[in-house]
Amino acid sequence: MLMNWLLVVLGAAAMPQAPEFAPPVRMEAEGKIVKVEAPGYAAPAWFDVDKDGQKDLIVGQFNGGKMMVYKNTGNGKLAKGEWLMAAGKVAEVPGVW
Amino acid sequence: MELNGDGLIDILSGSYSRHDGDMAGLFQVLWGQKDGSFAAPEALKGTDGEPLIILTEDSEEALVDKICTRPIAVDLDGDGKLDIVSGNFGGTFAFFKGEGNGKFAPKSTWIESDTRKISVEHHSDPFLVDWDKDGDFDLLSGSAEGGAFLFVNEGTKTAPKFGVRTTLIAAPKQAAEEVIGDAHITGPQSSTRIWADDVNGDGKPDLLLGDSVSLVFPAKGVSDQEALAKIKEFGEKFSKAYESMGNSEEPPSEEAMKKMQAEIEVLTAEKAKFVTEESTGYVWLFLQK
Repeated sequence: MLMNWLLVVLGAAAMPQAPEFAPPVRMEAEGKIVKVEAPGYAAPAWFDVDKDGQKDLIVGQFNGGKMMVYKNTGNGKLAKGEWLMAAGKVAEVPGVW
Repeated sequence: MELNGDGLIDILSGSYSRHDGDMAGLFQVLWGQKDGSFAAPEALKGTDGEPLIILTEDSEEALVDKICTRPIAVDLDGDGKLDIVSGNFGGTFAFFKGEGNGKFAPKSTWIESDTRKISVEHHSDPFLVDWDKDGDFDLLSGSAEGGAFLFVNEGTKTAPKFGVRTTLIAAPKQAAEEVIGDAHITGPQSSTRIWADDVNGDGKPDLLLGDSVSLVFPAKGVSDQEALAKIKEFGEKFSKAYESMGNSEEPPSEEAMKKMQAEIEVLTAEKAKFVTEESTGYVWLFLQK
């Protein structure tokens, strides 16, 4: 019994502690849940795309290979999404999943 | 990310196929412009001037390993030049050594742990970050089945060596039967895409997980029970229509295929009177405690 306890204690000391997370929440922008067009496949990035010092949410999707940019307006709020543009039109990455 | 050293943010993406020649994934880059906009996507090329493609064995089975999913550019080997780590449909991870200024060696190698390729259950989705704060890059990934996985770098900043896969977020269990509505969606579903950053500024890395989800709602005036019964009936009739093509090893005749398609169209139209379906994807935030 003592040996078992020792193994448990030593094991716990040697193992890195697994991270703990709060229950997940869906990201929202302007009070609405962020979601992508059918058939789905949301691919998020958290990056300061407009170089204003605050990281923004960019969400790629399967349909059209398009990316929606939700600018960070501060205090944990995101603005309404706008499609990322490239060469003057909505950017579409070909053959994306 | 800033890929070619010009100080402008670029966007790098994987893609599923090139449309001429053998099927393969191409890396698409949207080069950042001085006015803050982006150029149209173009295939990223290696130092040989050819589009960068994951190097695989020349076999049909290896085809899925050639289809790149998410690439990420970081200086993985600590030589001061950005490298590319890419996922693929098969679930492994490819490494392209950087030559500087947005140029990459054309031949990729596999990221391994003790001579075995590290992997997830299809559609690897690498994100590199110093998760354990020991000064080197660790590898995170989503997968086709969902969840979030971590490969701790047990090597050094200049000689990475990834350990076994551990689970940060477990993949969801598949429901045995169809579920009506979206109240049961309390976390990410399948096809997870990962990003890690300190979103709430508390000094600890958090996770953003994108997913893919299929939802079923009863049509107006239809109860959940009626909708479930109709879905079950649809499934049975669909199976019967499929079985009508026969169980032969030979492909079904054109006539049999047309008959089945017509039956399915009728069944689908009937089903739509009772349920509406939605396929979408959400972005889930996991704040680390």
